[in-house]
This record gives sequence, structure tokens and C-alpha cells, in this order.
Amino acid sequence: MRTLLVWLAGGLTLVGSSQVALANGWNMPVGVSTLSGEIYGLHMTIFWICVVIGVVVFGVMFYSLFKFRHSRGAKASNFHENTTVEVIWTIVPLLILVGMAVPATATLQKIYDPSEAELDVMVTGQQWRWRYEYLGEDVSFISNLATPRAQINGEEARGEHYLLEVDEPLVLPVNRKVRFLFTSDDVMHAWWVPQLAVKQDAIPGFVNENWVEIQEPGIYRGQCAELCGVDHGFMPIVVHAVEEEEFDTWLAERKEAAAEEAMGIDREWEMDELMERGEGIYSSICASCHQPEGQGSPPAFPALAGNEQLISDKDWHVNKVINGVSGSAMPSFRNTLNPVELASVLTYTRNAWGNDTGEVVQPAEIAERLEE
Amino acid sequence: MWEVVKSVLAAFLGVQREQQRLKDFEKGNPVAFIAVGIVMGAVLVGLIVLVASLAAG
Ligand SMILES: [Cu+2]
Repeated sequence: MRTLLVWLAGGLTLVGSSQVALANGWNMPVGVSTLSGEIYGLHMTIFWICVVIGVVVFGVMFYSLFKFRHSRGAKASNFHENTTVEVIWTIVPLLILVGMAVPATATLQKIYDPSEAELDVMVTGQQWRWRYEYLGEDVSFISNLATPRAQINGEEARGEHYLLEVDEPLVLPVNRKVRFLFTSDDVMHAWWVPQLAVKQDAIPGFVNENWVEIQEPGIYRGQCAELCGVDHGFMPIVVHAVEEEEFDTWLAERKEAAAEEAMGIDREWEMDELMERGEGIYSSICASCHQPEGQGSPPAFPALAGNEQLISDKDWHVNKVINGVSGSAMPSFRNTLNPVELASVLTYTRNAWGNDTGEVVQPAEIAERLEE
Repeated sequence: MWEVVKSVLAAFLGVQREQQRLKDFEKGNPVAFIAVGIVMGAVLVGLIVLVASLAAG
């Protein structure tokens, strides 16, 4: 009777603690995609198999320790080898493993089948932001951390979505199969959104595939899941899943805006409009290394404010921004920013913080440089 | 020959009867065990490939 009570108490504690874990969000979420529920089910099945194995193994162990203890005069039986027992403890785990492999493989096969996708999105990791490109739609943009620096430095209270908010979320339609193509410009990153059950490495020189069909509109947040440098924790992911019609409208608007931007390359730009645009781009892309006031943090990140070489040599400056500096943290922005954005940020850095060169870098000349 | 195959199968599982092990070590020819081991290793790989391609097909 007493043993029974002990077993019962142990079992209840176990089930109870697992319920607490589920309720507190420590477990993986059920998710909102067609496959996420299945992946969750697989995870729970295997979890419970492990629990049963743990209870049986430790149960037998503790029972034996208690029942056959030395103070009760237990005598060890000395024997060597028992083929029957050995065969049993080899065959049983084999069957359990094969039993787990069957449903796991069935799910894996579905995960690795991105065929018949209705939309292709290229996801490129970059120190330290994500770039999204809607393939075949001429729409692409970068998505930066939107949490203010003051919150990160502890000067302001943390917001609700601290380090999990971006300036431009990835917008996706619900009920459509979306194929992702993952790659990276520099080091390895990983695109991870728990609610979509997608966690895929973004590796330079490789393209990894995955897909998702979201079933519920909503905002889903995630993070880079591969240690990628100092700002690894500062490149979050936000997916905005919307109804199909809303998505089509959004995409059409973005396409139009991109086309307009492309037309704007040839015209003569005013200093003021380039400066205004450049300031925004500087603070979202450059400021994390070169600092908000351009003071940099030498030696890793050189100062831009009062930088003699930058002020005197425009060509050198343009070249560094377009092509990056190999062997340093300075990436190439050739594919990240369009000519108008490049010209804006160049004009800004050549004229802000007392770098008063008075020079306007025109988008047209940058476009020409990019052709070379 | 059948004895050798049985012993190699037992080695695949990782469990062997003590009696059989002693017998193999006294009378067996190491070359035969190595050759059968390599052939059956290849057969195992082939079987896994077959099952995998059936499942993926
Ligand atoms: Cu990263």
C-alpha cells in the first residue's frame, strides 16, 4: 500500500510539473501553420515516450536500491553474462527507436517538400539584419531592429516587444504555400519563428529551402538562432500574416513604390531630401557600429565624423560603402541598398556632424558606379 | 560458413553467446570473419538505401 502511494505521488508530481511547463510557455508552441501542429504532436509523443522510459528505468533502479539494501541483509548474486537479458535490452530500444523514426520521417518528408509553392521569398541573413526579396515581384527590403537604443542602454523602460520588433516586417498571405530560400551574405545565421515551426540555417554560398502555409492572420515574432557576432541578439524577425486580398494589395503597392523609386534614379536630387532620407538609413543600418553621432568605436568601427580620408576623398568613401572592406565588419551594401538609398546615406555622412563637404552624391552617379 | 554468418549477425546486434565466442576464437579463420563482415556491411547499407528510396518514392 505504501509503495503504491509513493508511486502515485511521484506520477502526479511528474504530470503536474509538465502541465506547469506547458502553461508557462516553456514548451514549444502548437503554432499556426499547416505543419506546426504535426511537429508539436511529434514532439509531445516523443516526450511522453521518454517520460515512460525514465519512470520505468529510474523506478526499477530506486526500487532495487531500497528493497535490496545492505541493512536488510541483501546478498549480491555474482554472475557473468546473460545472453537472454542482453538480447532483450538491445531489441527493446531498437524497436522504440524504429517506432519513433516512422512518424518522424513522415513529417520530415512533408517539411522537405516545398513543391507547388505559390510565392517564393528569398531570405538573406546579414550582420545584423534580414533582407527579404519577393522573387519575381521586384519587391525587396531590409528589416532592422526597431527597439530604440535608449531601451537597450537601460536609459528607458523596456517596451512590450523589446528586441523582438522591426521597422519593416515580412508580410505573408495566409492559406497560401510560401517557399523560403535561405542564404547569407557573411556568416551563418538562422531564421527562427517558433509559431511557424520554421528554423532554418542561412549559410553563405548555400541556399536552404523550407516552406510554410500560415492558417491564422497575426503577428509572429522570432530571432536569429545561430550565434553570428556582437549583434546576434539584435536581428529579430517579425512576420505579419494577413488575409490574401490584403496581401495582394500590399504587394501591388510595394511594386509600384519600387518602380517609382527606380524612375527617381535619373533625376537631380536636392541636398535636403537626400539628407533627410540618409539620416533614417544611417540610424537603422550604420549607427549600430559607427554610432549615432558618427563617432564610431575604434579600432573595430572607425569614426566617420571628422574622418579626414572620408572628407577629402569622395571616391574612396563611395567605394567603401558599395564594396565593403574585406577582412573587417564593414559589409558591401551593393545589394542591400538601392542607388537612391546609397546616395542618401553617402550625402548624409559627408555632411553630418561637421563633415561639411557640401557635396551632394546623386543617385545617378551611384547607379553608374554600380554598373562598373 | 553459416556459423560465420551467424556470428557476424550477432556482432551487428552487439550480443554473442559466450560458448559461441570461445568456439569462434579457437576454430575460426579471421580472414573469413573480415570478408563476411565487409560483405554483410555492404548488404546492410544497400538495404537501408532500398528502404529509404521506397519510403521517399
Ligand atoms: Cu544572425
